[in-house]
Amino acid sequence: MDLKNMFQMKADRSSYMEDGQDGKLITDLDSHKLLKIWQGPQHPGVTGNMSLELTVNGDEIVESKTHVGYLHRGFEKLMERRKFIQCFPTCIRMCVAEPDPNEYILSACIENLSGIEVPEMAQWLRTLALEMARLQVLLRGVPGQAGTFALGLGYQWGNYIRDLILDRFEELTGGRVYHMYILPGGVRGLLPDGFKQRMEDNLKLVDEFLVNINDLMYNNSVFKKRAKGLAVIPVDWVDKYGVYGPAARAAGIMRDTRKTHPYLKYAELDFEPFTTTDSDVYARSVVRWNDLKMTVDLIRQIMAKMPDKGEIKAPTPNVMHWQIPKGETYMKCESSRGEYGMYMVTDGSEMPRRVNLKGPSYTHANALLDKLLVNANIADTAAIMVSLATCPPEIER
Amino acid sequence: MSLKDILTPFTAWKRVAKDPVTVKDPFNDRPGADRYRGFHKNDVDVCIGCGTCEEICENEAIDLVPYTDPKDGDSGLRPRVDYGRCCWCALCVDVCTTNSLVLSNEYTWIAVDPEEYRYTPGVDKKAWDDNEKGWKKPEGNYEFYNLKREDMEHLHPEDRSSSFVEMVKGYSKEQAQAEADRCVECGICVATCPAHMGIPEYIKAVRHDDMEEGLRVLYETNPLPEICGRICTHKCETVCSIGHKGDPLSIRWLKRYIADNVESEKYKEILNTVDLDNKDKKVAIIGSGPSGLSAAHYLSLMGYSCTIFEQYDKAGGMMRYGIPEYRLPYDSIDKDIDYILSLGVEIKYNTRIGKDITLDQLGKDFDAVFSGTGLHLGRGTGIDGSDNEHVYFSTDLLRQITAGDEIEVAEKIVVIGGGNVAMDITRSLARMQNKKYGKVDIIATSLEREENMPADREEVVEAREEGATVNPGWAPQSIEIKDGVPTGLNVVQCKSLFDDTGRFNPQCNMDNKRFFEGTMIVQSIGQGMDLTYVSEEFKKNLEFGPRGRVQTNQHLQTGVNWFFMGGDIIVGPDVIHGIADGHRAAIGIDNFIQGINFEPAK
Amino acid sequence: MIDLLKDIENRFQTFDTVHQQKRQAFTTVDKGRAIALVTWLKENSGFTTLTLLTAVDWIEDGVFQLTYLLNNPDKGFELGIRVMIDREEATMESSHHLWKNMMTYQRELKEMFGIDFPGSPRLNESFILEGWDDIPPYRRDFDTKEYSTTTYFPRPGRKTNDPTEYMKSKMYPNT
Repeated sequence: MDLKNMFQMKADRSSYMEDGQDGKLITDLDSHKLLKIWQGPQHPGVTGNMSLELTVNGDEIVESKTHVGYLHRGFEKLMERRKFIQCFPTCIRMCVAEPDPNEYILSACIENLSGIEVPEMAQWLRTLALEMARLQVLLRGVPGQAGTFALGLGYQWGNYIRDLILDRFEELTGGRVYHMYILPGGVRGLLPDGFKQRMEDNLKLVDEFLVNINDLMYNNSVFKKRAKGLAVIPVDWVDKYGVYGPAARAAGIMRDTRKTHPYLKYAELDFEPFTTTDSDVYARSVVRWNDLKMTVDLIRQIMAKMPDKGEIKAPTPNVMHWQIPKGETYMKCESSRGEYGMYMVTDGSEMPRRVNLKGPSYTHANALLDKLLVNANIADTAAIMVSLATCPPEIER
Repeated sequence: MSLKDILTPFTAWKRVAKDPVTVKDPFNDRPGADRYRGFHKNDVDVCIGCGTCEEICENEAIDLVPYTDPKDGDSGLRPRVDYGRCCWCALCVDVCTTNSLVLSNEYTWIAVDPEEYRYTPGVDKKAWDDNEKGWKKPEGNYEFYNLKREDMEHLHPEDRSSSFVEMVKGYSKEQAQAEADRCVECGICVATCPAHMGIPEYIKAVRHDDMEEGLRVLYETNPLPEICGRICTHKCETVCSIGHKGDPLSIRWLKRYIADNVESEKYKEILNTVDLDNKDKKVAIIGSGPSGLSAAHYLSLMGYSCTIFEQYDKAGGMMRYGIPEYRLPYDSIDKDIDYILSLGVEIKYNTRIGKDITLDQLGKDFDAVFSGTGLHLGRGTGIDGSDNEHVYFSTDLLRQITAGDEIEVAEKIVVIGGGNVAMDITRSLARMQNKKYGKVDIIATSLEREENMPADREEVVEAREEGATVNPGWAPQSIEIKDGVPTGLNVVQCKSLFDDTGRFNPQCNMDNKRFFEGTMIVQSIGQGMDLTYVSEEFKKNLEFGPRGRVQTNQHLQTGVNWFFMGGDIIVGPDVIHGIADGHRAAIGIDNFIQGINFEPAK
Repeated sequence: MIDLLKDIENRFQTFDTVHQQKRQAFTTVDKGRAIALVTWLKENSGFTTLTLLTAVDWIEDGVFQLTYLLNNPDKGFELGIRVMIDREEATMESSHHLWKNMMTYQRELKEMFGIDFPGSPRLNESFILEGWDDIPPYRRDFDTKEYSTTTYFPRPGRKTNDPTEYMKSKMYPNT
């Protein structure tokens, strides 16, 4: 214990554990060298409701296990007892923060299995709704990263602008958080009058917000010191562990369903997702900041290119007794966290046989997080989780 | 660690000068948006209690609770919402068949008692009942079920105006399934149908392409599906819940689709009537119209041996002798009647009660007698000249056309009457005129104005397509006769038909006169019953009510306890009423013969 | 994609191939060859991403259908491999050596369906449910409605009427 060491805050390795025979550390709790800490389930340092069982040596994490299960509502089993139109309000609640991709992929699966073509206007409106959902999530997600390092200022700015976007959702769809707007066949309403003008006013606020966040976070010495080099994901882990979305793009691999498998109207829009190669927490945050900027641009493009009027719903069979012949399909879209997909199996009756939603957090929060947290400090766990944008409701549905 | 990175974050201080953003009074200053999905509102006068909202709610949050007494087209129930379970998805609003259920844009509700959160919108008054804004069903092409009916193909007027070939072509399989798909299975039609047929069940059988199940459902309450599938007055369709905002379901054509698609040879097997038990009791049935045939069918299923006495030489009653062939082809009648006869029913043609055998004799030979003789006599206007030999009753003419007898077909004909029978005779005579002269010249006139004509709208439209003239709103005054042959009908304009109390009291404008030319006049203003087979002695034991009708109890039993009556002579005039009466009488006869006592007619 | 499907049909005797979209197909393979096929696709055909592993309960046929959904990121192909396993003795070879995230899927299937994957790390730890002592809940013979009414206490006072029955009882009660 010398003065130099004290200020550099390096770990005292004299009491470190030995390596076991298979290369794994022996986490012998009786050796009095380790401590078990539970972070969560109700913890401001956890994104949502899940808990991390950390085994720490001093301040350094030696092993981590993720425990989920606090948000299991059994939606997939519930949907096996509901008709297809009744599944639609049920499935939207699977991911709380960004509900629109849930509606979209359920509708896309049903339309794919029954061969229904969605009209043009409805496709534009769906694209707009999905992008607005991404906007409101990123408005809290981007400054949220600084929030994990105790800089909560940006989060307050983002929260206010998100509230204004929720007002736009309320005008368009009738609900603020759970929109229930995209249903099998089309959407449930056209743009109200004056919507485009009000949206443009809000987008100007977001532009200003982006500049302010850039100043606040990315030209910030504390943020850089803490975030750079933290939780690096090597490139070969992207396929080995199943990394999607901004985390994969920060590692240098371009994974964006909007570009690789264009759906709805993305083929007609002009955008280029941002990639970088140092895949640490700082890079993932920069990727999200660029995503937010791209989303604003996409919304402006959509509102400019959208037709003025059109049909909002294609004719479907009578929803009270809609039977879909036997088949299965997998449809996917891009949420703000990564690739979001739904696998649906039907058996010819009025209810689906099996619905399995796959969110990106399923792999990010379980296998990947357990690996990334090793050798990190306790204070950094929140930062790592937010950088992966894990969302527990979609893990356990 | 550049200086820029240390100092730049402090630029956030510039926001200190900006105004804070707060809504001072969120409850009053911030109403819900125009489309916000708030609390429920229901217009209880428009709502019909069909229950589609209850069925579609995935949280089982809606119950149907009694509000008024049910009547035709309104079940008397109204939805009650439980806000402990509702998720405000507004699917109930989007599926509502009358668009009566909407959501207001109110979102705050504070109450101390949790039971208040289960309430019946519209019945329990709430503060947001006057809100204009809120979620309503979206405009445009947004429907959960198809509102438009599948069109039924008809023969073109040129093809059909000179032949008696059936003019309605029938549904194909795709059309029938598309039409059956529109049903929401609310069940309101069942109560309105006089026979209470299981309509949602057989529509479901069409959807699942299960003709055998459909046939079974039909025969539970209606042994004449081929006939009803063509000419029923479809009271069910008038109350169909889809009919409030769209076209009602074509329930009649779907019934015809099921009956058409099962071959007669398979009926006994499907309906499980290959072996019937025998109770060794006999029932006599007078008249082989719908009520008689229906009674014979159900009595045979119960094990009685039935004998039908029919005065003409073919069975069917007014169905055969009153409805022209282009609406109801004789093959269809035969298909239904042959099945009933195959159950072991004996039928004696050309046998008239009162002449060949008396009613009292029937009472001795049989254990019970059912009479369904119908309304075969025409009713006359009684105007001057109506006793001429060229002035006919429509019922007589239609019977003669069916029997194949020669009738007079004049070059110019005038028909008095505005009901379905008048349209039938008009269109039949138009066809015969076309065949004989190559042109049509027939005028149909009625007291009622066009919008009040009792005939079905399609009949009037099709009559005009076939070349007949329908000129309603005239009251006949007298028939001009010259050299023993009519020359035409004098009419005056009829201004109104019913007075303020609703009684029949025609008011005419005597200054507005017209003369319709015609050498043959047909009267089609009503039908009368023929009770000559009941002796005067017998009639002393019966009780008569208004319009000369015999009174019966709810089992259709008359004052003479073995004598039952039903059909047009009791109620109607409708094929489906006759069928329902036949079924009811069959149950009544069964109870009577088994000895279950019930009160005789009051 | 058609060439690929023909190729694996020859090599691994797949059957019941459904190729409904341009870049998505589903095919069935025998249980013994399933892991070999998945490994071959991963190593040789570029299907380097595992999308998901899930199970479908076909109770009337007495089988579970396991679906391995693999994704080829370069060409954008999506291939679903169906494996039918017996419902009573539900086990399958573990493939956690191929992808690291496979063990999470296998853990969930063990808990929710009761399908065993011997050798998978942390297999018997509870993933979603805690203290569950009933049959695995995603199986079709588990009745969620009955579980819900017996375990929880719904608020009393709900009674509904069917329009047809109600109209019958009031308008024509004698028949």
